[in-house]
Amino acid sequence: VQGSHAGHRTAGTAVRVLTAAVLLLVPALLGVVPPATASGGSSEAADGTTTFTVGLLNEVDSFNPFLGIEATSYEMWALSYDLLVGYSMKDLSPVPSLAESWDTSDDGLTWTFHVRDGVSWSDGEPLTAHDVAYTFNRVLDGGPEAVTWGSYLTSVQRITAPDDGTVVMRLKQPNAVLPLLPIPIVPEHVWKDVSEKEVKTYPAEPTDGQPVVGSGPFRLVEGTAGGSTYRFEANPDYWQGTPHVDEVVFRVFKAEDPAVQALVKGEVDFVHNITPVQVAALQGRDGITAINGISNYFTEIAFNTGAVDTGTGKPLGDGNPALKDPAFRHALGYALDLDRVVQNAFQGGGKPGDTVVPPAYPNFKWDPPEDEAFTFDLDKAGQLLDAAGYEKGPDGLRTMPDGTPIGTLRLFARPEEKSSLRTMDLFSEWLGDLGIDTEVKVVESNRLTNLILDGEYDAFEWGWYVEPDPDSMLVNFTCDERGGWSDSWYCNPEYDRLMTAQNRELDGAKRVDMIRRMQQILYRDSPYLVTAYTTTGQAVRTDRFACFQPQPDPGGTLLVQYGAHNYYTLRPADEAGDCDGVTSAVGATVSGQPAEDGRSTVVLVAGGVLLLAALAAGGFWAFRRRTTAGERE
Amino acid sequence: VTLVTATGAQPAAPPARRRRGYGRYVGAKVLGALGSLAFVLVVNFFLFRVLPGDPARTLGRGRFRTEEQLAEFRSTYGLDQPLLQQFLTFCKNTLTGELGVSLRYRVPVADLIQDRMWPTILLVGTSTVLAALIGIYAGMVSAWNRGRTVDRLWTGSTLTLYSMPEWWLGLMLIATLAVGIGPIPGIFPTGGLHSVDVEPGTLEYALDTAWHLVLPVATLTMAYLADYALIMRSTLLEEVGEDYLVTARAKGLRDVQVRRHHAVRNALLPTTTLVALNIGFVVSGAITIETVFSIPGLGLLASEALTIPDYWVLQGTFLVASAGVIVANLAANLLYGVLDPRVRT
Repeated sequence: VQGSHAGHRTAGTAVRVLTAAVLLLVPALLGVVPPATASGGSSEAADGTTTFTVGLLNEVDSFNPFLGIEATSYEMWALSYDLLVGYSMKDLSPVPSLAESWDTSDDGLTWTFHVRDGVSWSDGEPLTAHDVAYTFNRVLDGGPEAVTWGSYLTSVQRITAPDDGTVVMRLKQPNAVLPLLPIPIVPEHVWKDVSEKEVKTYPAEPTDGQPVVGSGPFRLVEGTAGGSTYRFEANPDYWQGTPHVDEVVFRVFKAEDPAVQALVKGEVDFVHNITPVQVAALQGRDGITAINGISNYFTEIAFNTGAVDTGTGKPLGDGNPALKDPAFRHALGYALDLDRVVQNAFQGGGKPGDTVVPPAYPNFKWDPPEDEAFTFDLDKAGQLLDAAGYEKGPDGLRTMPDGTPIGTLRLFARPEEKSSLRTMDLFSEWLGDLGIDTEVKVVESNRLTNLILDGEYDAFEWGWYVEPDPDSMLVNFTCDERGGWSDSWYCNPEYDRLMTAQNRELDGAKRVDMIRRMQQILYRDSPYLVTAYTTTGQAVRTDRFACFQPQPDPGGTLLVQYGAHNYYTLRPADEAGDCDGVTSAVGATVSGQPAEDGRSTVVLVAGGVLLLAALAAGGFWAFRRRTTAGERE
Repeated sequence: VTLVTATGAQPAAPPARRRRGYGRYVGAKVLGALGSLAFVLVVNFFLFRVLPGDPARTLGRGRFRTEEQLAEFRSTYGLDQPLLQQFLTFCKNTLTGELGVSLRYRVPVADLIQDRMWPTILLVGTSTVLAALIGIYAGMVSAWNRGRTVDRLWTGSTLTLYSMPEWWLGLMLIATLAVGIGPIPGIFPTGGLHSVDVEPGTLEYALDTAWHLVLPVATLTMAYLADYALIMRSTLLEEVGEDYLVTARAKGLRDVQVRRHHAVRNALLPTTTLVALNIGFVVSGAITIETVFSIPGLGLLASEALTIPDYWVLQGTFLVASAGVIVANLAANLLYGVLDPRVRT
């Protein structure tokens, strides 16, 4: 969820994807009973409880909201706890949550949050401003809590709760990212018994059959960190309304294919993080809605723009000198056919990228105008390189402006995701066409992180999750982050000035202008060439459950969003109606049924694949027979 | 009887050699095993420290904004101390049964391993035993009927299963027997170790777990089958031409008796080694099958810990895995001493 390089997707090989397609389509081809009728299309168990089951591909690393880092853990906290300020379903802008409203002093240094009255913890204790102040102060006081959440409160001096309904936050300097604060609010009367020392290993899991105390729509009754199932029961007194299902169960799968199989069979009602190929295969099925949701993830090719030792200021590592020149890097932007990258490397699951703010955040995103936007144009790239002095030598390879050879650029790809290597292979090919020699190397993320920090690379492929406020992403390109989270060693005083200014600018429109200007600078100087905005594949048994509003709406994902909105609005399909007027929600009656077209093509493709598989198996068998026969001689 | 016959077939051993007692043999083997274990302990620590990657950097990517936060994390887990100091702490802790706390899950490694141990033992253990039993039988039948249809069938099918990627075999079983195709109903679960709503400790829970294990165990058994079948087949084939079998037949024994009491007895030794070794590997888990069937076992625990690297989990799982192999080896050696007195020298 946070700006993190740790990709949460499991890398799948082409073979696995193909197999998945075959497996999924075999029943369709044979004209079997559709799953809707096969497994009843009912969401109610024999004993009358309604359970909504989600298949995930990653386990919880900690139920303690001060410790975990996996996206799955964030989802569990969202079910158990509330935030002071929430995220809107439409565009992730701040909306009231535990705080009904908030106001800022004119100097921007004092924020007052008015905490909702009548909210209770799941054990009956009232939730007040004191719980909020307690939670934030735990973070402010340092220790493990600060390691996880401290970066959100760096500008904060003091937080107090003068009465049950008011939280007052004093700042050292104005902070435009507020009021967004993704820190789950925990109950003081439970956590005051967990010391600073104990919190490091405090599991925050059910003990002696007692559910974990929280204020969210569900509470954890069964499950441990690293376990493979987590069971939540509804909180009937939830302040935003009683959830429509009795239980939510999460099942962790270790591979996409079995998770999809479980959805088809009806063992789970929802799967998250499946591949574009699987989404395509599922889209033809009755009773299932599969989507490629807009995600907050982008992938990039990053360059070593000049690593320096932050202590001494001396150059560090062995980055290629050509890449220190923004003009050189910018020219390479015209040597990337992003449509092909998306098609070949990401199986079509995404859109060509441009800036480091993904389209999930249209409020902040800068769209390059036509005359500035990169196009795939090798001639233009060549002209730009010529103009910057990188002309072709007699051997057809481009040289530095002083005539010395550029040498071989080392392009690093990560083995964790197939798309990484494919992107770099394509890039290498196009650079070859331009007369630039390259070498693609695959190194594990762990080692790559070290190579980056040691400045021993020329370019690499990776990606970032961007939070609803791009501040935390943009800061990675400041001079101060070199040796820290900067992985391009980019440093530009003009950019740094804008960074500081936007962070303190309380006029929303002015701030957006600055943020867009910053993206423009990055686009021009090209420390990153953003390759793709990938999508998140999800599928849901709409014959059983309904009312999943996308976030952002339209086009977003249906679960694993910012906040737990859909968990308390989702309901059995036969009770859906118009989903309380949210017509954009998946399963609302007005939005109609999922389209049925495309099925015949799917069947044709499946037929072809099956035939191939059968031929391969046949050949294999024949070969086996020969060997055994030979052995017999 | 057979052992004597077998030895008789070899050149006579020098009779003067002093015969050592079984007790001494056992002592030597146990000492050797302890030595290996100590060696593993040392390797265990340094092997993972030379892994590329820094857990503070991997886990902290995008989280630790300041050097202080990094330092805080390192000091919490003792990562800021000199390597030698860390090693001494590690030795002391391991000897006192303290395996440390997982960097990723923040829970004691001993608890993690304990939770993951049973699924793995159930899965890999059952499969190993089943594969050994069926494999030995298949190898026996094949060798005895060499070149006939039954041999071709067994050898062909075990080899075919052996050459199939495990994950593919697993997925095929899921598609056919868990989801269902055509007239075949999907009767087995697609993955996991048990249903969510059953009460642990009850008979229902045990049956539910068994039901969940059918497909993964079947997959692994099929994948392992060829190992045993082929070894058994080839060793038995070596025996088939031996003189003592002719003798046995000349004594008027029936074919089944010759096979069971003479030939197979002698051919079992290499297979015993294989079974013992593989039982040692049970606690190493089966990463592929654990992945396909989403079974939370030790193999997955270790492979996922590598990405961080989560030192304490890696040390713990590798210690358990190595100890498993060493203990199984020791058991095999001791068993050998009983089965074949010649190895005691």
